[in-house]
Amino acid sequence: MSLKDWLKNRWLIEHQTSRQEIADLLSVADRDLAQCQTPHLSPDWQLNIAYNAALQAATAALAAAGYRAAKEAHHYQVIQSLAYTIRADEGLIAQLDKFRKKRNIGSYERAGAISEQEVKEMVRLAKDLMGKVTVWLKKNHPELL
Amino acid sequence: MVSPGFTLNKTKTNRALKIVPKRGTIVPTMSTLPDSDNLSRTLFGKTRRAVLSLLYSHVDEAFYLRQIVRAAGVGLGAVQRELKQLSDAGIIQRMVRGHQVYYQANPRCPVFEELKILVIKAVGVGAALQAALAPLSDRIHVAFVYGSIARSGERLDSDVDVLVVGKVTFGEIVSSLREAQRTIGREINPTVYPPTEFRSKLAAGHHFLNSVLREPMLFLIGDKRELERLAKKPLAH
Repeated sequence: MSLKDWLKNRWLIEHQTSRQEIADLLSVADRDLAQCQTPHLSPDWQLNIAYNAALQAATAALAAAGYRAAKEAHHYQVIQSLAYTIRADEGLIAQLDKFRKKRNIGSYERAGAISEQEVKEMVRLAKDLMGKVTVWLKKNHPELL
Repeated sequence: MVSPGFTLNKTKTNRALKIVPKRGTIVPTMSTLPDSDNLSRTLFGKTRRAVLSLLYSHVDEAFYLRQIVRAAGVGLGAVQRELKQLSDAGIIQRMVRGHQVYYQANPRCPVFEELKILVIKAVGVGAALQAALAPLSDRIHVAFVYGSIARSGERLDSDVDVLVVGKVTFGEIVSSLREAQRTIGREINPTVYPPTEFRSKLAAGHHFLNSVLREPMLFLIGDKRELERLAKKPLAH
């Protein structure tokens, strides 16, 4: 499988990005990484914000590769695409995808099913991912930075 | 290559190589975990266990012979014999649709509910999760399934909700459950609490934890007593 196969399956749409778009996505990720650590927020909300930071970083990598995710299962596709953009390992993708699921559960079904330790792990993951995406962009798409 | 711990004996009468385990090899045992593998193998035997495990952990689905053989990992003949015996006894049902023959757990079997619970505990979801968490068990105080599976109202699309209390990370739990998730074909949703956070949240009246502890729990590691010790209070049931 490759991103081209995903395009054929209509999981992705071809997308022309720009320096401005990448800068915007990365700055939202930066903002969320800072704001998720605002004191006195509930763990559910902190997880949501940190997760959004990770999602923006992954979206930036996908945009730089020339794609955006289709509407259906949008977050899922963006997360899975990390295997083909920055070559993220299976463990990171599985963990981020579980946080996606946890975020849904936290919002709709089981409010509070998120521990403070899990929030810390999500923040760490988002920081790690942000670092990896930046390094990858510098190496593979310096024209977009 | 001969694996360590084994010696090879060549005899004149038997040209085949015999593998004899060396005496005195220490075999680690998981004293904190009941050996569900041994339990179910003793109760059912290999083929029956495999067939019941597939059919009774997916009671809403019908499977055709080839799927059952693949999942069971035993010979076609053995599976066919087993399916006939189980169908004759009314434990499973045989259905013909077009040219295909399907098999499914039989809800009219008088011990359908009991078998379902037994399979979840000894062979199915519970056993798969227990095996997956075993490598982390020395750092886990308590792990249990809650939600629809624990209430035994298992549906085709039920996720498996697992609560873990221990000195482990969410990342470790997710990666150790990855394979089990594939095996059981259901999404597993873990929530991981360190013991101190678990205790303080519970004491502060945390809604999620308090409501989970009032529901049925299917223990994978530890038991109700350990949970009460952690919570520092007796639990409702």
